[in-house]
Amino acid sequence: MDWDLLLAIGRFLLATILLLLLTVPTAFIVGQMELKIIAQMQLRYGPNRVGPWGMFQSTIHGFKMLAKEDHMPDRADRITFTLAPWMVFMAAAMSMLVIPFGPGLVAFDSKISVIYFFAIIGLSVVGMLIAGWASYNKYSLLGGLRSAAQMVSYEIPLTLSIVGLVVLTGSLSFTEIVAWQAEHGWAFVWQLIGFPIFLIAAAAEINRTPFDMVEADSEIVAGPFTEYSGMRFGFFYFAEYVALFIMSSILVTLFFGGWLAPWPLPAQLDGFAGALYGLFWFFLKTYLFVLVAVWARTTLPRVRIDQLMGMAWKVLLPLAIVNLLVTAAVVQLLEL
Amino acid sequence: MTAKTRIPDPIELDRAEEARLRASAGLAPPTATPEYAGFDTVAIPDRPPVTDREKEVYTLDEGEMLFNMGPQHPSTHGVMRLVVKVRGEIVVDIDPVLGYLHRGIEKLCENATYTTVMTYVDPMDYMSAMHNEHAPAIAFEKLMGITPPPRAEYIRALVMELNRAFSHGLMMGFLALDLGGLTPILYSFINRDEVVDLLSSISGQRMLFNFLRVGGVNWDVSDEFISRLSTWRAKTGHTVGLSEKLMTENEIFIRRTKGMGVLSGEQAVSLGVSGPNLRASGVPFDVRKAHPYSIYPELEFEVITHEAGDVYARYLQRVAELKQSLHLIDQIVDRMPHGPVQAQVPGIIRPKPGRAYAAVESPRGLYSVYAISDGGPNPYRFRMRDPSFISLQAMPVLMPGRLIADTMAIMASLDPIMGGVDK
Repeated sequence: MDWDLLLAIGRFLLATILLLLLTVPTAFIVGQMELKIIAQMQLRYGPNRVGPWGMFQSTIHGFKMLAKEDHMPDRADRITFTLAPWMVFMAAAMSMLVIPFGPGLVAFDSKISVIYFFAIIGLSVVGMLIAGWASYNKYSLLGGLRSAAQMVSYEIPLTLSIVGLVVLTGSLSFTEIVAWQAEHGWAFVWQLIGFPIFLIAAAAEINRTPFDMVEADSEIVAGPFTEYSGMRFGFFYFAEYVALFIMSSILVTLFFGGWLAPWPLPAQLDGFAGALYGLFWFFLKTYLFVLVAVWARTTLPRVRIDQLMGMAWKVLLPLAIVNLLVTAAVVQLLEL
Repeated sequence: MTAKTRIPDPIELDRAEEARLRASAGLAPPTATPEYAGFDTVAIPDRPPVTDREKEVYTLDEGEMLFNMGPQHPSTHGVMRLVVKVRGEIVVDIDPVLGYLHRGIEKLCENATYTTVMTYVDPMDYMSAMHNEHAPAIAFEKLMGITPPPRAEYIRALVMELNRAFSHGLMMGFLALDLGGLTPILYSFINRDEVVDLLSSISGQRMLFNFLRVGGVNWDVSDEFISRLSTWRAKTGHTVGLSEKLMTENEIFIRRTKGMGVLSGEQAVSLGVSGPNLRASGVPFDVRKAHPYSIYPELEFEVITHEAGDVYARYLQRVAELKQSLHLIDQIVDRMPHGPVQAQVPGIIRPKPGRAYAAVESPRGLYSVYAISDGGPNPYRFRMRDPSFISLQAMPVLMPGRLIADTMAIMASLDPIMGGVDK
């Protein structure tokens, strides 16, 4: 018996189960932040009845979904209609596999985890598109097509903005990128063009305000989710909140040193305490960027679909290419 | 087993209608309909098209699709229904369908006494209930030949401007909401709640005030009310500024609204658009100046105009008029005389036979009443001109060629209130 292999499989299974379980509280926490922080910014109380300070409101929302009627339009395409929420949710959940939560705390430490991540997170567009098609609703169709156009366009600047960082660090592995940052400082200092491009493209990729064209409620009701109810709708919402958490965590990993502590403190510690120390800083930084997304939602109106596409192709893409060239030149000159 | 009667599927009926329409337009018949036909079908009209305009809207060219916005839609203000013909995301044609909130208010008023008409007109344009009462009050006073006492006129002007202030404030919020900004609407409602609290303290109701009477107002304002008013007045600039900060200078907001839905001055006049929508197109027409009524000739204010005529200009127009209303409130409070608030009016009002017309400047434009008396205790005929009904006529002019997202911005900038449109 190859005990090492068995151990690795066992570790992997345990990690995946833990990550799947992690999606539930993550969605609840992000949802609660949306309810409560937006309320504070809009000078109102927000939910304050369920639990102390209303902190279980989003949990109750989640459980309410389970109790609701599961309705399907008569002419819906039954198979794809059922499949779509799962595709969107699994795309989000599977991409959590490669996120390094702390030193050694990564489910699947691959050499090409960056490529894996962007391949998997892009799958959610398929789910959105078939949800829009299968619902037999014109609003859903418009939303599905919008999501396809938007995500496919923003995939390109999103990925290109990373290439500069990959050239800089010489690695496609998230853990090695963090290790590089431990030596050279946080990467956003090195990627002053790349970081804002990534921030904007990531917001568009996960349909956050001001790029929430897909579910623009004042235009196309709820986009591809219009005909969904009950837990199928719940899965879309879960996926959306989890995707927000994942994008923030990837942003932190790539540009803000992942689990590394900020400057005056020791960047990382050893042993079990070190893992906890890393986890603490990772989650703190990640939720800071979740907060930025929530903040943007209260502040900004929505851009129009043509402005959205124009920005991807006319602004972000050329900038990303410039960023790549400049980074490559810097790497050559400084021999990093 | 008994044979089931097959109920025809509305979508199939719709297909037959589509085939007929396409044949009349000289197009090929629609392709055979398998179980899952896709989205080339027509939105379901609730009846066959009758007028030429309806036939034009419901006839589709290749690549076009109809869809229904409303009457239940998150952003059609109230229960408005728009039949939108689109090619992809681009709006080709638009047909507003009205009547979902029709309550027959004009007919109800013809069956009510002159005193009780005031209770029926409130829920018409429910964002400006005070103005709804002002026009019939003036018209009935003309019929009766009575003049309200000066203090009553000042109180009327005060509540009119308070009403205008919160109505324009809410328009800012709704415009932001239709553009996807969630916050300004809540800031607007802070201001609105405070104004409504003030008005309810003198009228007893929060939304449908029922405050004006023929020959005066229902209640006098107390000193306590005036002091509460000045407290509100001191902080209202800040509350309005909260929304303004999020909108006026916001790059996304400007890009969404500038140059969008341009209504030229000539177009606006020929369509009959009035109020802030007309003045935002550069036509300086304000009923308060053009056909002065109440105490407006005594107050100092200028007619505000903007030149551009686009959504952004209509937004700036509302903000400027809101601030103008606040200045007018200051003037009115400073100059308010003492005295009675109700003229001597008989218990049952029976004007001599005759006709009267009265127009006021409501937050949405020229709001007028035409009443005919036959000498009886209730109006023989009673008609109202609602400005948002007229503003809706601009939508099929402004929207074609724009994107679906812009239709919402344009509609919100015209600020129609469906209670007034459908009466």
